[in-house]
Amino acid sequence: MNTERKHIGNADFLKVFGRALLLQASWSFERMQTLGFAFAVEPVLRKLYPDRNEYEERLKVHLEYFNTQPYCASFILGAVMRLEEDRATGVNAAADVSGLKAALMAPLGAMGDSFFWGALRPLTALIATAVLLAGVWWAPLLFLALYNIWHVGLRMGMLYWGYQSGGDAAMLLARYSLTRWAKRFKIMSLTVLGGMIGMLPSWRPEFRLHVPVPGVVTAMAGLVLTFALVFVLRRGGSPIKLMFGLALLCLALAYAGVV
Amino acid sequence: MHMVMAVLGVAVLGGLLGLDRTAAGQFMVSQPIVAGPLTGWLLGDASAGFVIGGVLELIWLLDVPVGSFVPANATVGAVSATGIAVLGMPGGATLPVIGFSLLLTAAIGPLTIGADSLVRTGNSKLIEKAAASTVGDRARAISRAHLSGLVVFFLKSFILCAVIVPAGVAAVLLLFDRLPGTVHRALALFVKLLPIVGAALVARKLSMKEFDRFVLMGFVIAAVFGLLIPVPSLIVLLLVVTAGWIGARYSEHRA
Repeated sequence: MNTERKHIGNADFLKVFGRALLLQASWSFERMQTLGFAFAVEPVLRKLYPDRNEYEERLKVHLEYFNTQPYCASFILGAVMRLEEDRATGVNAAADVSGLKAALMAPLGAMGDSFFWGALRPLTALIATAVLLAGVWWAPLLFLALYNIWHVGLRMGMLYWGYQSGGDAAMLLARYSLTRWAKRFKIMSLTVLGGMIGMLPSWRPEFRLHVPVPGVVTAMAGLVLTFALVFVLRRGGSPIKLMFGLALLCLALAYAGVV
Repeated sequence: MHMVMAVLGVAVLGGLLGLDRTAAGQFMVSQPIVAGPLTGWLLGDASAGFVIGGVLELIWLLDVPVGSFVPANATVGAVSATGIAVLGMPGGATLPVIGFSLLLTAAIGPLTIGADSLVRTGNSKLIEKAAASTVGDRARAISRAHLSGLVVFFLKSFILCAVIVPAGVAAVLLLFDRLPGTVHRALALFVKLLPIVGAALVARKLSMKEFDRFVLMGFVIAAVFGLLIPVPSLIVLLLVVTAGWIGARYSEHRA
């Protein structure tokens, strides 16, 4: 056992962060992010294990099945960096790295999916789409800025907190209750959605319906139509089917002389 | 020649943006609201890209490739639809041609799902290669296998765009102009109503209850400040977002 203390420095964090951005480059149904995890953690293993055989052996260990929410993988990567460091330096030679990965990936995956895919992305995209429908050209830039402040900030933060806590997910939850934020963002998304429909008469000219009724009536018709479609969607139907259904309805209206 | 270069440019852009979808970064530049305007800007008609990107963003917003679920590829859809509309009508894409290209790309949605699934199945071989590497070469084998996945994901989107865009442009040139005026009017109405369909899809997937009070709150604020008291749209949106935040905190407090 090599007992010489080796520190993981800022450069290592940057290397792992950069590689974590490619976590899903070889994503497969069978092994999901397995190869990506080994690729991301490799520079740290190379530094911690100067002995070639030990290094290769540790790398092989990280070829076990892995899958979680790709941003939250940073927390597990940070924790693994810490445990591998403890293991390599003899602070905790029996550190169960595989057990930690297995224990964390499912709960972090569920939490990350709910927050990032189910709340942050819908909210930022809805705000940007409402801005775009209002005719503002920089709406896509607004979307990227709003989304990535959270995304990049949390992704970098989680790598660091994972290392600091050694995989204590309770620390992450105490610092940022992502579940609570997810609920807040979902409520805000619904409000923005309502606001977007309320602004229907002042949407970009391409989307304006030229009907001889006051704007409030058009907006209310939009709201009623949205609720009606939600009712229809509850009985099933995919976006593609809905698009073709709408096209057929428009065709019928056009042939009936309504438009 | 110009058309070939333009299609090639769109395919390269589609390939690069497609990487962001799952394989690299996930900074969301692959989302239709970004991919549509970028493609339109590249081809000299950003306006068509804004229209296509805006509606497709709403329609595909909550169909996320999570775990083994593979939805239709919204990035390829946005890039291809914009490419077809702009290249099919070089003078400036009209609403009917935008509607036509949106329907074409919606129809090939299952093809993009098939291509994505094929790549993700084939990627299993990459880890087999890495695992079978000899001692002393393992790190290099892992890097090589993993990064070759990027090439495969790029090629998937590149090929899809390179096939769909020229086929779509041909359909516009051969078929679209021959359609009667009634169909053109129907296609224009279709595009105008698509954001409502998108809003309903988002509402459904956000598990909106019937007559959700938060949707109604946002609607009332926008209607009062945007329509009855004309206030600039961005200020109205700011008020709506603020009201949403207050509503969320109030809801927490009550719980």
